Amino acid sequence: MSADLALEALVRSRRILVCVGTGGVGKTTLAASLALQGARLGRRTAVLTIDPARRLADALGVRELGNQPTALPRERLAALGVPEAGSLAALMLDMKRTFDDLVTRFADSEASRQRILGNRIYQHVSDALAGSAEYSAMEKVFELSERDDLDLIVVDTPPSQHALDFLDAPRRLLEFLDSRLVHVLLHPAFAAGRFGVRLFQRGAERVLRVIERISGVAFLEDISEFLLAFEGMSEGFRERARRVEARLTGPDAAFVLAAGPSRESTRHALALLERLDSAGVPLAGVVVNRVHLWPGPGPTPECVPEPARRDEARAALAAALGGSDASEPEALAALAAADGYAGWVRADHEASAELAVRIGRRGGFVRRVAELPGDVHDLEGLASVADRLFETGREDT
Amino acid sequence: MPLSPLLDRRLVIVTGKGGTGKTTVAAALGLAAAAAGKRVLLAEVGPDEHVAPLLDPDAPRAGYEGRELRKGFSAMRIDPYDALGEYLGLQIGLAGVVRRVLANRAFRQLMDASPGWRELITLGKIWHLESLRDPSGAPRFDLIVVDAPATGHGLTFLDVPRVVGSAVRAGPLRRHASWVEALIRDPARTLLLPVALAEELPARETAELVTRLRDQVGVALDRVVVNAVTPPPYPPGSEDLAARLARLPRDFEIPGAPPPSVLAACLEHLGARAALNGRWIRAIAESTGLPARVLPRLPLGVRGAADLERLAAPLLEDGS
Repeated sequence: MSADLALEALVRSRRILVCVGTGGVGKTTLAASLALQGARLGRRTAVLTIDPARRLADALGVRELGNQPTALPRERLAALGVPEAGSLAALMLDMKRTFDDLVTRFADSEASRQRILGNRIYQHVSDALAGSAEYSAMEKVFELSERDDLDLIVVDTPPSQHALDFLDAPRRLLEFLDSRLVHVLLHPAFAAGRFGVRLFQRGAERVLRVIERISGVAFLEDISEFLLAFEGMSEGFRERARRVEARLTGPDAAFVLAAGPSRESTRHALALLERLDSAGVPLAGVVVNRVHLWPGPGPTPECVPEPARRDEARAALAAALGGSDASEPEALAALAAADGYAGWVRADHEASAELAVRIGRRGGFVRRVAELPGDVHDLEGLASVADRLFETGREDT
Repeated sequence: MPLSPLLDRRLVIVTGKGGTGKTTVAAALGLAAAAAGKRVLLAEVGPDEHVAPLLDPDAPRAGYEGRELRKGFSAMRIDPYDALGEYLGLQIGLAGVVRRVLANRAFRQLMDASPGWRELITLGKIWHLESLRDPSGAPRFDLIVVDAPATGHGLTFLDVPRVVGSAVRAGPLRRHASWVEALIRDPARTLLLPVALAEELPARETAELVTRLRDQVGVALDRVVVNAVTPPPYPPGSEDLAARLARLPRDFEIPGAPPPSVLAACLEHLGARAALNGRWIRAIAESTGLPARVLPRLPLGVRGAADLERLAAPLLEDGS
């Protein structure tokens, strides 16, 4: 299947599309344009960003995005070819709210709910500090996928080193909840600053004592209180995490890798590809953004002008441009621009060639999208990206 | 030539959105400082190491131990678990015990799930590196350049000591966190160097980052780096060149070169890119209130020390 058809099939049939990739490769724009295309195909679509930098809101021309889907105005969507049946909503993950909602869902009593929400450690865990973003994102995707008023959920993830944390999040939470250490910490003796020695190695006890001394007992009391309060909820979390993982690695979901055209970006994409492979993630294909394409007929030249005809080319062009004093530097500038641009085209092509081979081997698609002359900062801009992305008849499988 | 004040700092933290070329800027700065006779350490923070391979793809990694890559220029990657091991080893004095515990799966799981400590221990290690002195009493490193995490996480990274200070009531951890916070907030020693691209979204994000860093973290800034900028392809006064080329007869042949319409298309593309970049360079300078230092786009990417040297000159330019 050619790349445009493969990509269209995904947008038409899947329930969850996850865009992964390193930073600065147009991942957010890709997520938003896939979502727009979903709406154009008549699906009720939501796009979720995890990026705290508000890029999705900017690209959609929406001032603020909340933790619940904000529907984009029907008239504006209709103007871009979204039929009556389709819709597009956007939301930005509010980690704290998502976590609070979860606690509310699973707390076994009002008292334990209050105890957790008021716990100092919980506040830091659930706040903007690292650690909870990935889990709450997964949770949010799952929550959205449970709704019957949405057909397609497109997810924009944080840059690569975190994208895999995102995938690992439910498993990590499960492992943590099941770990012996948690049981040691949950031992009531812990709250008094002593440890169940038989339950844990002597060395660990010593280290934990030192951590306790360094950090102040209160800090550890907070942790144990947090874990105690959490214990009542852990079964609910555990079940939930299992279902989240099953949903994201199941047939309803597909992962699309966004990459840039540069060598550095390709290197990062290849590294990410390997990690996705070893994690058993079903990667459907790659979109290489912002590729330079040669504007002329024929192959991209190695050198403009041909070195042996440099003087001849300059003289002919300068004469054609009027033969004045200004014509000589103009001819040089025009030839230099073509030479420089050909260099960009060649560099992009070479950089993404290996990626294409690797993806092709696994049956995935590679879609190269030309660089836009301007920025994408509104729905119309997104629509033109989607047009290029889904333009039919391209050869880049 | 007098040294740029950038090189007179003890600590320069390079940050920016992913893909802006943070690592390139950090490496260019580090090499320039070493070339000026400073003893430089470049500390990478993150799961992968990029600096050593940038200078030589086949060279072994610098790791937590660090390695001198060029005369006076060392690099290392701060792994939070290595740093934690070192810290606990210093506190307890039993390296073997600490190693065993850190290798314990359950302990790792507890730590993996705990927020904030990675940032704190990483900054703690940087603080420790800054405080190292050789036998004569001179600093072990004149300049430490930190390649910090990408923007969103970068802010969290620098804000952790303050958060810990408010969460932990007493004890050595609180004290250590306050030392780290004092270093970050000391404008004489520490400078934050944001790296941006001259495009709308990264430009806006940079403005937001700078505002929040000023207000929330209180770290000093004196310039913003705008990377990968395309220069105007036209000679001054010839901005209509592409249009005139496009008007040349269709069958006009330039010996050994593509037809005029193709030259026009290339000029137009580069010209549009340059105009867009120019607009956002001005916007970045205006919204951050900082002078912009503009680095050129290298179409083939950074391919070694020579490219880094080319980038260093505009980076260090002094005055506004």
